[in-house]
Amino acid sequence: MRWTPFLAATAAILVTVPAKATVYFSTEQAQRAIFPGASFTSAGSNIWRVSTGGYFVVDRVIGKHEYITYAIGINANGTVKQIEIMTYNESYGYEVRNASWRAQFVGKSASSPLQLNADIKNVSGATLSCKHVTDGVKRVLASLKGR
Amino acid sequence: MRRARPLLGTFVEIEAQGTADAIAAGALEQAVSAAFAAVALVHRLMSFHEPDSDLSRLNRSAATEPVAVHPWTAAVLRRARRLFHATAGLFDCAVGHDLARLGLLPAHDFGPGEAGDFSAVEFLPGNRFAFAARIALDLGGIAKGFAVDRAIAVLRAHGVREALVNAGGDMRVMGKTAQPIYIRHPTEPAQLLLAGTLQNGAIATSSPVATLNVVEGREASALLSASTRAPIVERASYSVVAPTCVVADALTKVLAQIERTDAPYFERFGASALIIPAAATDRKAA
Repeated sequence: MRWTPFLAATAAILVTVPAKATVYFSTEQAQRAIFPGASFTSAGSNIWRVSTGGYFVVDRVIGKHEYITYAIGINANGTVKQIEIMTYNESYGYEVRNASWRAQFVGKSASSPLQLNADIKNVSGATLSCKHVTDGVKRVLASLKGR
Repeated sequence: MRRARPLLGTFVEIEAQGTADAIAAGALEQAVSAAFAAVALVHRLMSFHEPDSDLSRLNRSAATEPVAVHPWTAAVLRRARRLFHATAGLFDCAVGHDLARLGLLPAHDFGPGEAGDFSAVEFLPGNRFAFAARIALDLGGIAKGFAVDRAIAVLRAHGVREALVNAGGDMRVMGKTAQPIYIRHPTEPAQLLLAGTLQNGAIATSSPVATLNVVEGREASALLSASTRAPIVERASYSVVAPTCVVADALTKVLAQIERTDAPYFERFGASALIIPAAATDRKAA
């Protein structure tokens, strides 16, 4: 291990990051990653039927400071195959619940990442909860029941 | 390649790059999948919330009869014991009943709890454990760090040479690049502090602010004092840099109690401690 601290200096380096966007997957990339080799037929808004059985769903959740899109692969028997975060957008000082703020992220994919402080990573901090995503997954599974 | 999944109650991000002789993209994908699978296994074994986890089986039955657990659960308990002794009992996982009472963990059918600390855990041959008192363990202060270490080990075993695993703020970096490390300000989340650069090491941060709430008219958080069992409600954040994430993760819980960065066990574990107070001007570092 080699640790070179900067904070020992009297003036620490502060960076203000009002908004930050991380793109992990486009819809097509997430489909290929969760169901390799399968083909997909639209079965409604953000729902696809998978050729090998099951469903692929894209869902969004809005937290206090974050707006997250994620993909769920659902097996033919209704169980969760895989969950992948597609985009993670966080904001401080903007209103995450504001539709026009969120609109700037629509249509962005991994090949056209946003340049909002995209170079700032490796952030240590008190643990962020993913409860809104786990709740979202439960909601999606419930809505697919009986399909 | 950079991926994130919801695991361990948080977002686990894995970034991996190939070697100089470039491992194939398919192999990199397999390595990252295997690393996520290791994190998912830690989640299943050591979750307080899942009734069938190793941890829940221990909490339910180990006071009555010995309970056999997965080797990884046993490994975490061995590290927890080492940290408990090295910190004179300040790192104590036997806080399950206290956190459930504060509403910060779900109430289970563990029956009536008894006072006690980690010294009530008896280590038996064959990865079996018994409790000398009706304590309840919570591995929330150590399992995340252990999971990060396992993910890094899996990536290395798959030939990955440059990687980052970040479990919601507890992270470890591997490779020859010295990575800039930022710490989020505890009370002004838009502010990041460039804390330093890290190569082949881990950093974890805890803050009462993350779980601060009001229970029966009093402020509470998931960070407890081992001696008084009272929640710590200081608006600061506590970071520890260490060679492994399991040590970094665990020692942040000790740092939050002692509020000083020069305790001898930090050096013994090869760790550096760092406190960011609520007021952005007055910082302590060591």
